[in-house]
Amino acid sequence: MVVFVVFAFAKAYAQGPPITADKPIMLGGNSFTTKTLTEIRNTERGTIAYIPVMLHYLPTKNSLVALHLPYTTYDLSDVSGSGLADVKIMGKYQFFRKDGTGKTFRMVAKTLQTLPTGDKIDVMDISTGLYSGYYGVVAGLETLKYGISGEIGYNSMPNGTLDEFRAKLGFGLPLLKPQYPNKQLNLYFEYNSVWLHERDWYQLLYSQGVQYALKNITFDLAVQLPLVQEIDANRALNYSIFLGTRYTF
Amino acid sequence: MKQITIILSIIVGLLTFTTTYAQTKKDRDQYEIQVDGLGCPFCAYGLEKKFKEFKGIKDIAIDIETGDFSFTYPAKQPLTMETVLAQVVKSGYTPNDSKITRYDGSIETNEKSEEIALQDVTSARLYVNGMCGMCKARIEKVTTAITGVASAVWDVDTKMLSVKYDPNKTSESAIEKAAAQVGHDTKGTRATDEAYDNLHACCKYKRAQ
Repeated sequence: MVVFVVFAFAKAYAQGPPITADKPIMLGGNSFTTKTLTEIRNTERGTIAYIPVMLHYLPTKNSLVALHLPYTTYDLSDVSGSGLADVKIMGKYQFFRKDGTGKTFRMVAKTLQTLPTGDKIDVMDISTGLYSGYYGVVAGLETLKYGISGEIGYNSMPNGTLDEFRAKLGFGLPLLKPQYPNKQLNLYFEYNSVWLHERDWYQLLYSQGVQYALKNITFDLAVQLPLVQEIDANRALNYSIFLGTRYTF
Repeated sequence: MKQITIILSIIVGLLTFTTTYAQTKKDRDQYEIQVDGLGCPFCAYGLEKKFKEFKGIKDIAIDIETGDFSFTYPAKQPLTMETVLAQVVKSGYTPNDSKITRYDGSIETNEKSEEIALQDVTSARLYVNGMCGMCKARIEKVTTAITGVASAVWDVDTKMLSVKYDPNKTSESAIEKAAAQVGHDTKGTRATDEAYDNLHACCKYKRAQ
């Protein structure tokens, strides 16, 4: 049986801000956030659009559960179609917090369970039709001057070959004076690194993002480009564009 | 006659509104909490949202640079200091100095009650350079944390720190040194360039040569 393989490494978890990376800040217990972060990913194999609806809930100040319901449409060299992509369930638990005036440092444990609800087209993070479980740690320092966040973790796919080590690093820079109620214009500089040891593939991506934020809503735009691609040439990422918004209530 | 009636109606209306408003303000307690961990405006939103669980809360104000958070609440259903501080913790942040001004003028605080006998307390006014409310929060926080310091209040305009302390436990030079360690020059101690550079942009005061 021929296995159709599509590979591109862009990450779109959007537990933000920031945009393509993650950070450990949680906005108080018993709150909801709805998000979407559409990704248009162009690879040597074709173009994929990923349109998720994400619902995040914080049962306590230290914990978060989330459900990501994604729709995808793809036009690839070997297959095209549309429909439900892989549904994701996420959990986070904050286990460390150190606060100061106008700054905070936090660390969270994170898991992302990907369910095999999408077509088996091997588009990583979008539609593989296979179960996988990600386990990692996110740490971040957030101040009124800047934000730094990092993440490291491992994704296990028992019935596939997309087991991977992930590392992310993001920097946020507010362009406007901090004020409340919010009116922010933020720049994000984000790096995503992925090593798929079973395929011996490695990729380092850079994302440039900009975000406009009001009191409880944000509008996000980012472009992601490859810096390093040691993968099959016909699987290479050309670029990804992210468009999103998130609303907290 | 019609005009006079209209004018009188407006005056009576304004008086009624003013009285009602004054009554409303009079019947409310004022809460002030200095909160740590507000690293971005979204954090402040999370704090406000959590406190809106208290039905009847009004006049919410948050200065994210200093962490100063204030609101009013009906005096008929007063919140205790413990309840307020616990709600800050539930929001995911750290409460510091807090004050409740009850509608009858009485004041409650959560200040640490140091065992300093009144006769042992010395007052001093120390020059500490700074610029803004964020500087004030930083200076007061670091100096009141010193063992032996009963209170410390910094004035943005005069740049003077009014401090009460136990001379058996600390000294003026120790207080000045603490302020300098977080980037604020004093008369007796100059902050390191590194500490000064670490100050927020709005806190970059003009240093003496």
